[in-house]
Amino acid sequence: MADQGLRIANLHCNVAGNEILKGIDLMVEPGKVHALMGPNGSGKSTLAFSLTGHPQYQVTKGTVALDGTDLLELAPDKRARAGLFLSFQYPAAIPGVKVANFLHAARQAERPGDLPPAKFRALLLEKMDLLGMDPSFMGRYLNDGFSGGEKKRLEMLQLAVLAPKYAVLDETDSGLDVDALKAVGECIAALRASDEGRNTGFLIITHYPRILQHVAPDVVHVMIDGRIVKTGDADLAHRIEREGYDGIREEIGAIA
Amino acid sequence: MLSATAVRTPLHDALGASDAALLPPEDRARALDAFLTTPSGRQKPSRFWRIDLDTIAPDARAIAPNAVAVDIQNASPRVVACDLITAAREHAPLLRRAFGTSGAGTTKFGALARAFAGTGAFVYVPHDADAAEPIVITYTMAENSAAFPYTVVLAERGARATVLERFAGGRDAFVCAAVEAVTEEGSDLHCAAHQSLDAGARWFSTRTARPGRNARFAWTSAEAGAGLAVLDLTVAIAQPGIDAGITSLFFPTGNQHVDVVSTVDHAVGDSTSHTHVKSAATGAGQARYLGTIRIAPHAQGSDASLRDDALLLSKRAHIDSVPALEIGANDVKAYHGATVGALDEEQIFYLESRGIERAAAERTIALGFFEPAIDRFPTEALREELRAALASKLA
Repeated sequence: MADQGLRIANLHCNVAGNEILKGIDLMVEPGKVHALMGPNGSGKSTLAFSLTGHPQYQVTKGTVALDGTDLLELAPDKRARAGLFLSFQYPAAIPGVKVANFLHAARQAERPGDLPPAKFRALLLEKMDLLGMDPSFMGRYLNDGFSGGEKKRLEMLQLAVLAPKYAVLDETDSGLDVDALKAVGECIAALRASDEGRNTGFLIITHYPRILQHVAPDVVHVMIDGRIVKTGDADLAHRIEREGYDGIREEIGAIA
Repeated sequence: MLSATAVRTPLHDALGASDAALLPPEDRARALDAFLTTPSGRQKPSRFWRIDLDTIAPDARAIAPNAVAVDIQNASPRVVACDLITAAREHAPLLRRAFGTSGAGTTKFGALARAFAGTGAFVYVPHDADAAEPIVITYTMAENSAAFPYTVVLAERGARATVLERFAGGRDAFVCAAVEAVTEEGSDLHCAAHQSLDAGARWFSTRTARPGRNARFAWTSAEAGAGLAVLDLTVAIAQPGIDAGITSLFFPTGNQHVDVVSTVDHAVGDSTSHTHVKSAATGAGQARYLGTIRIAPHAQGSDASLRDDALLLSKRAHIDSVPALEIGANDVKAYHGATVGALDEEQIFYLESRGIERAAAERTIALGFFEPAIDRFPTEALREELRAALASKLA
């Protein structure tokens, strides 16, 4: 279909009255992996929150469409049910809400009644094994007392269980050790190889290229000061690894 | 004033129908006078709280022996579990070791419950008996009645048991209940209560415990029903080595008023106590909580904690929380922590971002807030009952 894709056009977004996004154009196609790189404070996480509808992120201009559906018209829960997923950099802890119950509620909300409880449980155990998570996770309270690595693994478990149409991963790699990073890479690879996740499009937000060794990007964007200043293939990530963002800053400075 | 003849005389006249074997008439008259003259010790009415507990009294005409029905379930052969009148006749020496010995009668409403004690339950767990199944006591209150359910529990040395009380019914009733729990060395007793009276009921509950040396003891108490709920939870620590817990949860909705006082009195050292209170309020629900930890000057080595969290779910809801730590000894541990707040927007957004509608997200978070307290209640059946009761308040 012609309107497939997560299409972001001329997106402007304010936080506390300051314009952080200054006109973002980007399209993630089904099944493709886009990396969004940029230094701290460039607006990457703002893009993630404005896509998911966080109330403190005010979109002032532009459009976002998910396979033709206008996302900006929808409340956050409806955006998720339309097929958008955000892996949070700092997910909220919710004491008293067990991981298993939460995952079941989320799956039910996004894919009502599609799996009987026994099959859902089997799916959970399979994905947890892939992520190196102990089954005792299921009985813990959501992110309550979790280490940074445990939180990220739980975000990946949700990605695997929900198999969204489009997944935005906000710095999922930050704070992870080598083994955890590898597990995240394997989890994404397994999702992309599955029937449910074959067509999932990814927007991987990161400021280090190392996660991209585990998930090869089709397209790499560089964001600086609220704008996408450069788009290229995987080589662009390698260049950032060698030169940092200064080389790109100089280059765009020269153009401007 | 309650001592006015117009209140006093009919109540004294109503004592005439009470059982003399359980408690002689002169003791009942003394208890009734204590009720009439003892101040409630509770705060006066304020902008939010409009009920004066010092002037409240049952209507003498509503006092009748059939105001409350009791059902007692016990599966343990060594445990005696019977109604209170039967206990007064068949187990009088045992009953005397606990009935009236825990200090329940020294509070205003505890004295009233004692004055009219009749329908009730007696549980006796002999030494080293282990009641694997909880002893379940269900009180059902009649409409428009004045009811005085009274429970007495005696756990001997090394005994282990769980006593679960349910209170239901009572449309427009005045219900004044007491529980006395007396335990001996090395015993382990857990007394749980779920109050789900009709919204028109007024409910007063005095629960006092006197645990033995090296005993474990716990109160867990959930206030779900009644238009007015006044609860007094006390553990008197007069022996070393005790591990005592108090858990209280309440959730006033509509126009419900809940007033909870918990007191742990460390008169002797080297004992531990932990108090957990979880409350929420919505609609025009009002609650106040006074949590006292008292550590006497010679009670060295005491270890007491008090944790109190309140969640406000509407603009008109109100919860006052007052912790009071009175610490007379220097070699003790005493911890207190309290929070009062609304639902966290970041938590709501997180659940919404997983496809869960805002209303359901709010419900999930509010129920989760209670979950660590629910976890302390015995039996999965009761925990599910409490979750359902709380969920219906959030619907």
